[in-house]
Amino acid sequence: MTPLQQYLALAIALFFIGSWGVLARRNIILIVMCVELMLNAINIALVAFSNYSPTGAGRGEVFVFFVFALAAAEAAIGLAIAIAMYRLKERLSIGDFDEMKG
Amino acid sequence: MPEFQQTAFILLSIMILASAFCVVLFRNLIYSALSMIGCFLGVAGIFILLHAELVAAAQVLIYVGAISVLVIFAIMLTGHRTGDLRLFFHKQAWVAVPICAVAGIALMVVMATATYNATEDAQNPSDDAIASLLFNEYAFPFELVSLALLVAIVGAVILAMKEKNQ
Repeated sequence: MTPLQQYLALAIALFFIGSWGVLARRNIILIVMCVELMLNAINIALVAFSNYSPTGAGRGEVFVFFVFALAAAEAAIGLAIAIAMYRLKERLSIGDFDEMKG
Repeated sequence: MPEFQQTAFILLSIMILASAFCVVLFRNLIYSALSMIGCFLGVAGIFILLHAELVAAAQVLIYVGAISVLVIFAIMLTGHRTGDLRLFFHKQAWVAVPICAVAGIALMVVMATATYNATEDAQNPSDDAIASLLFNEYAFPFELVSLALLVAIVGAVILAMKEKNQ
């Protein structure tokens, strides 16, 4: 395996552990945490591609900064929704929020 | 990769993957949040191995410093420390394992068989180069992202605010 492929393998493993957490766990806060793990995996892949590329080094790192900002926004909104939901129902399990069901 | 970097990569990988598993598997949310911090620190180490020191510093500041604190605040505010065991070991959790495993292995195969136009060693783009890319070529996306962040902060405050008159 080339060094680039090692970093990509790590990113893939981390991404799918995160997606397993999103699919398997039911606590809203834990789902937000697992989404953060998935975003970290994406960042590893972006930086690895950027710094192993013969041209355009640094370009991927710029996108990592955008991912950072959007991850922070996502965490703030997701956790605010979790707190609002908890205030409404005193529960945090996604199975309890079925108001939109017809 | 040189010997030292190879060893560091393997140790950091073990740290990242083990703490990621802990995030998913711990029942206590505080433990999950603490393992998440370990995972973020490991990813910062990986960034340093990739010669992306600026990104590593930002990772420590933003993820370890801000997002983890936000998550722990949310856990404390809801006071909902542990998940119900019945809700964790349900059917959905076991269906999710093969889905993620199959998708992950498929992606690994694609990654291993693809050909890359890659250099031998990670390059070290200067911070000046990144800054000038960020503020010249990507100035408009940068402003857009800061607007999105502002909207998200205002939205989070409004969502989490207690309604006084109702």
